[in-house]
Amino acid sequence: MALLETIDLVKRFGGLTAVNKVNFSLNQGRIVSIIGPNGAGKTTFFNTLTGIYHPEEGRILLNGNPVHGLRPDQIAARGLSRTFQNIRLFDNMSVIENILVGMHVHLKQAPLATLLHLPSFKREEKASELKAEELMQYVGLRGVGNELAKNLPYGGQRRLEIARALAADPLLLLLDEPAAGMNPQETEEMTRLFRRIRDERGITILLIEHDMRVVMNISELICVMDYGEKIAEGTPDEIRADARVIEAYLGRGAVAGQHEEKL
Amino acid sequence: MKRFLKSMNVREMLRPLGQMFLFSLGSTIVLSALMLVLALILDKTIVGQTLFQRLNVSLYTYTLINLPQVAIDGLTIGFVYAAIALGYTMVYGVLEFINFAHSEIFATGAFVGVEILIALEKFGILSGASLAMAYGYLILAIIAGMLAAGALAVTVERVAYRPLRHASRLVPLISAIGVSFLLQDMIRLIESLTTGQYNRIMPTFGNFDHRLLLGKMTLGAAHITLGVSIKSIIVIVSAVLMLVGLNYLVNATKIGKAIRAVAQDPQTASLMGINVNRIISLTFLVGGMLGGAAGVLYALKFTRIDPFVGFFPGLKAFTAAVLGGIGNMTGALLGGIVLGMLETYAGSFMGVFTMGAAGTEYKDIFAFSILILVLIFRPQGLMGEHVAQKA
Amino acid sequence: MAALFKDIARWLDQGIAPYLLVMAHMALGTALVYVFPRSNLAFMVLITSFFSLYYIKTDSWFKFVAGAVLTLLIFPVVGVRNIFYLEVIFQISVFSALALGLNIVVGFAGLLDLGYVAFYAVGAYLWAFFGSQQYYILHFAPGTQPANLPFLLPGDSFYLFVFAAILIAALTGILLGTPVLRLRGDYLAIVTLGFGEVIRVLANNLDKPLNFTNGPQGITPIQRPTMPQVAVDGFNALFSRIIGHTVSPADMYNVMFYLFALAVIIVIVFVTRRLDDSKIGRAWTAIREDETAAIAMGIPLVKMKLAAFAVGASFAGVMGVLLAGSRTFISPESFSFMQSIGVLSMVILGGSGSIPGVILGAATVTILNLQVLQGLSLYLSQLRQSDAVIPLINFAWANLSSQLDPAKYQRLLFGLILILMMIFRPAGLIPSRRRKRELATDALPNESRDEDNHGAP
Repeated sequence: MALLETIDLVKRFGGLTAVNKVNFSLNQGRIVSIIGPNGAGKTTFFNTLTGIYHPEEGRILLNGNPVHGLRPDQIAARGLSRTFQNIRLFDNMSVIENILVGMHVHLKQAPLATLLHLPSFKREEKASELKAEELMQYVGLRGVGNELAKNLPYGGQRRLEIARALAADPLLLLLDEPAAGMNPQETEEMTRLFRRIRDERGITILLIEHDMRVVMNISELICVMDYGEKIAEGTPDEIRADARVIEAYLGRGAVAGQHEEKL
Repeated sequence: MKRFLKSMNVREMLRPLGQMFLFSLGSTIVLSALMLVLALILDKTIVGQTLFQRLNVSLYTYTLINLPQVAIDGLTIGFVYAAIALGYTMVYGVLEFINFAHSEIFATGAFVGVEILIALEKFGILSGASLAMAYGYLILAIIAGMLAAGALAVTVERVAYRPLRHASRLVPLISAIGVSFLLQDMIRLIESLTTGQYNRIMPTFGNFDHRLLLGKMTLGAAHITLGVSIKSIIVIVSAVLMLVGLNYLVNATKIGKAIRAVAQDPQTASLMGINVNRIISLTFLVGGMLGGAAGVLYALKFTRIDPFVGFFPGLKAFTAAVLGGIGNMTGALLGGIVLGMLETYAGSFMGVFTMGAAGTEYKDIFAFSILILVLIFRPQGLMGEHVAQKA
Repeated sequence: MAALFKDIARWLDQGIAPYLLVMAHMALGTALVYVFPRSNLAFMVLITSFFSLYYIKTDSWFKFVAGAVLTLLIFPVVGVRNIFYLEVIFQISVFSALALGLNIVVGFAGLLDLGYVAFYAVGAYLWAFFGSQQYYILHFAPGTQPANLPFLLPGDSFYLFVFAAILIAALTGILLGTPVLRLRGDYLAIVTLGFGEVIRVLANNLDKPLNFTNGPQGITPIQRPTMPQVAVDGFNALFSRIIGHTVSPADMYNVMFYLFALAVIIVIVFVTRRLDDSKIGRAWTAIREDETAAIAMGIPLVKMKLAAFAVGASFAGVMGVLLAGSRTFISPESFSFMQSIGVLSMVILGGSGSIPGVILGAATVTILNLQVLQGLSLYLSQLRQSDAVIPLINFAWANLSSQLDPAKYQRLLFGLILILMMIFRPAGLIPSRRRKRELATDALPNESRDEDNHGAP
């Protein structure tokens, strides 16, 4: 059974259909990319999956259970964790606190235990702090636990966002342009990190990305969107050769061979 | 003449007139019908019996004979709300910011207008004035109120809002609340220092308090006269003129186009060569002038003003703006009229319908209930379109 | 010169010097107030010893003991000698408690609540109704009730109502909050303002059809809680010689309510700090920082906001009961929009989210209100009665309008505070700081930092 499945998903804004009858299925343990020109509906698709938008039609199944119509926090609690296209950290909280917020759904912390600092509370706080530190190191942040998130350099903020998303122990990690604004070396490191996340932690990854080096390098499956519709799906090699994809990116009449390098 | 008319774009001028007429008529009919139905239902209950014992008329008759007067009163206050609401809605349209101090801009207009008339009265000019001159002085007071309020609104924006334009949403709002409080006490301080008191009374002059008799009615045992005071007519006519003028400014001139462009997208507008800061100042100027004029009209209608006079009209006008769909000018007009009518109808009949348990004293919080209901069930307002999340 | 200051600063930072300095400040303040019981300046010296205590680096146990001595011993004794000071410190503690409660809503969760006194009113009217004769005059219009009615409940039940108020105010918070907490911040602010006004208008008008609130006249007399005679006798036995006269039970009540308010503050500070360092507090801060990201991390927005609203409301409710008990009279006037803004300006002035900041804000605003503005009023009215003339413009003070009473210009004060703080120091006088955690990884060499630095686009 697919981990995530959308069936005839439709999201409209007034007259504009941003996501149009998308059928998409994602198996456990895969790394899958969604690509497409600007305005193709990729981020809207993400926002619909995570509950920020409610779809007009269609269904979203997570592990076979419908999650469409649920609030974003309910969907997050069911194991969907995400990062944002333009980084959205809790700027005035420290790095470690940002990660602790990510663990929110797993922390018990009854009010009384919190107020009285009962052993159960202390134990859990200590454990989560250790886990947060472990995550910091995992994504390559070190010695900055008490820094405010806004004081991290750009690359550090991207890493922190991933650590925060991982803190929720998600089944599925949604990454919205995680390599945007990074130099080749960092992009390389990020790609490696994603693969490790999947290999070592068994977390399925779905990412939107424009950087074709990342996409072609890491994806086992690529889904191409254009004008809100899924126009192609396949392995990187299949996508490279797909005429519709090249058309979507380069317009009608473009010669396939010419543009392969861009992909 | 023909060319002039053509250049004035008559349709743009007439459109709001039609809308105002429609909104006024619509809300009058709907609310009157509702009141009559309620009266019919309650007539057979203890409510009707109590009234019959007291006044010897049936509740239905009582409601019916009071309706025309209530409608006229509601319309008058509705137009005042509409004029104030436009100030909120314009600023919100451009900056997405609730100008909490707009109610004090309104109060400032009222004070400047009233003080000028009081000064004229002191020099004996008002009492000897002919009717034409009396209107002249009133217009003078309104214009002075508009100028003072407009200038104040621009200053407030420059000093207390502009430095905070890029801060988070609540920061300028808190500053605006501060300005509102500061201005209330500044008015009070200035009035106390110069005149020794801060409650001011609009001088009586001209024929503004005169009531025009519209008709007499005999219903059963009751006789009733239906009238409208000249000042109510002045309030309605001035408000209509201002609204038409504003609509023309925003929808049919180059400046208006620039205002709408900035409201749509300030960054793109500035790329197109529009001076965004100037347009924002202009928005505050226009909104402030409308508020100031509304202040003088309010003083004319209700006679007595104090430094805190702006608070409730301001909140109600904000409610009107939200009710109509904030950022939407036609909506503000509709919201103002509907709210003014609703409030007056409720204030007039609630006391009778509930046998005195709850009446006019709840008028002021009536608007809040509407505000809360609108925000919960239709946050985009009556006329607003449902806009997709604006990040 | 600068070097000299540096030397002094260094000397102040080590050994017993800082301890001596703090104690000297406290002792000086106490002595001054003792010798000049009517001097405002002396009182300011005493009050500012809190600054020394807060800013000069000393052990936390010392701070704790010195703070306790100051608040539990010196203030009550000094206050009983000059009852005006007791009133000042009582009001400071009442407003500190209110501001700390509002701080949970505004400072932590980032919800601008402009009708916070509504919950204060709920608490106050709760005890005012049950702790007075109001129940027996439900069917009388205000002013027409028969004389010599008994109180509905005995004074002991006051203590019960302190706890009842927690629940009822929290419940009111949830009730009012549920429909509106999904609104955007600025709309929420206006709606809460509306709620505040609704409660005030209700208090004003619920004298009919049944007389619950006695309308604009307010409810009086309200019972004070029973105080054991032992407390009065004990206090007298200990302090009457220092004070110079035996303390009457009435004065003892003032001391007791001050101590009550202090206890509430301690509870609020305790609860606030515990919550701040937990899942709940982090969720509030996250919501304040970025709602979209917070909800994507699985934080239920409305539920967490309701929690903040309810916690904040419950403290206001307790303070309301306290107010009704201490004043024995309440009227709708005490719960105006201006009061809400007053409490807000304390939070903003001190620094929203910062506990010491909010207390400082509450103290500053209260002192400005009670001592500076009222002092000015007094001074002006003296001038007005004198023959003095302002020189240059030849204006006789006697002609000055009696409307010009600085004590009534609180709005000016609140307005200025809000505007100036927003423009020049939005984080407040003492900005809030995130707690530093002791992390194992922080001890490691900082290798990854350099790596990250070339990441900026």
